[in-house]
Amino acid sequence: MISTASAVIGSRVSVGHRMLALTWLISPLLLLATWALVAASGHYSAQLLIPPADVWHTFKDLLHSGELLEGAAFSLRRLASGFVLGASGGLLFGAALALSKTVEVYCAPMFHVLRQVPSIALIPMFILVFGVEETFKVLLVTKAVFFPVALATSEGIKAIPRSHFEVARLYRLPRYSLLLDVVFPAAAPPILTGLRVGLTRAWMVLVAAELLAADSGLGQMIEMGRQMMRIDVVMVGVITIGLIGFVLDSSLRLLERRLFRWKAIKE
Amino acid sequence: MNASLDQRWLASTSHSPGALQIRELSKHYLLDGQPMEVLKGIDLRVKPGEFVSIVGASGCGKSSLLRLIAGLESDYSGDMQLDGKAITTTSLERGIVFQDHRLFPWKTVAQNIAIALKRSPLTRQEKALRVAEHIRLVNLQGFENAYPHQLSGGMAQRAAIARALITQPKLLLLDEPFGALDALTRISMQRELQRIWVQHRSTMIMVTHDVEEALYLGDRVIVMDARPGRIKYEIDVDLPHPRERHAPRLQELKEILLTELAGSDADK
Ligand SMILES: Nc1ncnc2c1ncn2[C@@H]1O[C@H](COP(=O)(O)OP(=O)(O)OP(=O)(O)O)[C@@H](O)[C@H]1O
Ligand SMILES: [Mg+2]
Repeated sequence: MISTASAVIGSRVSVGHRMLALTWLISPLLLLATWALVAASGHYSAQLLIPPADVWHTFKDLLHSGELLEGAAFSLRRLASGFVLGASGGLLFGAALALSKTVEVYCAPMFHVLRQVPSIALIPMFILVFGVEETFKVLLVTKAVFFPVALATSEGIKAIPRSHFEVARLYRLPRYSLLLDVVFPAAAPPILTGLRVGLTRAWMVLVAAELLAADSGLGQMIEMGRQMMRIDVVMVGVITIGLIGFVLDSSLRLLERRLFRWKAIKE
Repeated sequence: MNASLDQRWLASTSHSPGALQIRELSKHYLLDGQPMEVLKGIDLRVKPGEFVSIVGASGCGKSSLLRLIAGLESDYSGDMQLDGKAITTTSLERGIVFQDHRLFPWKTVAQNIAIALKRSPLTRQEKALRVAEHIRLVNLQGFENAYPHQLSGGMAQRAAIARALITQPKLLLLDEPFGALDALTRISMQRELQRIWVQHRSTMIMVTHDVEEALYLGDRVIVMDARPGRIKYEIDVDLPHPRERHAPRLQELKEILLTELAGSDADK
């Protein structure tokens, strides 16, 4: 008797859990339903408001023809190069800014002015200086990643309690160990948040740059779709961009959770 | 802790306890631009292997004194020497345990203890061996790979003590090391510290608010007075170690100390 009772309770709990795990589906499904209903109502021309089913078809076509994957690959390659450059630069500069008085005195004011300039505002200038080829897009991504990472690194390091540095002094840790064993681990949580912010911003500005000037990539696919009045292609592009951004951010979040197991879990 | 291990551990260490000499030590902090005297004219001699307890009202400069001896504070006047060498900055010869354990939360117990050996010329294997020995010394076997947040307060403090001892300092400074612990854990930690000290025989200076603790562990108890911080009174605890906690002699000394401490409060 007892065992069946607990089995019943057990299954109820797990059903409850599964329900909870699926609640996130409610809002996209509602949006999809509204979209399908409005499109079917005939108030708008099917040229402008494409029904979901048609967009789905276009998605499958673009996937099979390889166009979608190719565009995504181009965009992601630019993102990756710019991200690596911007993140490593941001880490080094942020650490220098926090740890060296000299660097702070010379660079802090300029840094804080420059980081206020939205990456998008730099597109015209970058095009003039670097042309419309790859360099300009990679550098734009680099810029978008560099500033949030540098800021998070420098603030994160400055927020490290003095007691940690005292322990390092007591055991006379050499400089490399001070950085690797104390400074970076202590500042890692804010740094990872900076990386996430940088990645999201970079993805956005990259798509914008591709819309304006590119012969490949997801942004360019959208722009081509617009010019040919293929709103379905535009929508496939928009949704893909959103999904890729989400996957990128989630993977960093996953990394965050794995990396910071030393933190007490606050639940 | 088994006996053969103790022997091996003792044999493997070649520590000589240090003699501390402090003359005319004064220190002030600036508070709103005004100099505030924290310590004034401290004279203190500690013999090699001696255990000195320091008690005194809150704010009388006990932590400041230990931080100065540890080399964490600059900008003082006076003279401090360990075995005749002037104290100018931090050194592996002088260890300190704070009231908060100050373990790095991102490192495991073993890694936290090992970090003290960063400067040591030992090989990786020798270091690992020594870390394991010290984990046993403070009875933390089985928690080598635990993170500080997974430890109780007493366990974390024991890990901190192991970290301070592993460099075999000539002088160990303890700043209210058991202040945050409950009475029972405190008593067992005192017993363990006593055991470690008897075994290790380094010179130790411990700050505490607990008069019984000061008397139970100390060869000598120093009473400090506040504003400016200075040494007011000293008492020798003429009993051999290990001691009986409820020895009548300790009770007598406790009465004397409490009177002295009450006196320094009434002065204010
Ligand atoms: N960094 C600092 N700057 C300014 N004043 C300080 C600083 N550190 C300590 N003080 C002052 O020095 C005095 C002595 O402080 P200290 O921490 O040494 O006292 P304490 O005897 O250890 O007290 P407690 O028993 O509460 O730990 C206090 O009045 C404190 O306000
Ligand atoms: Mg104190």
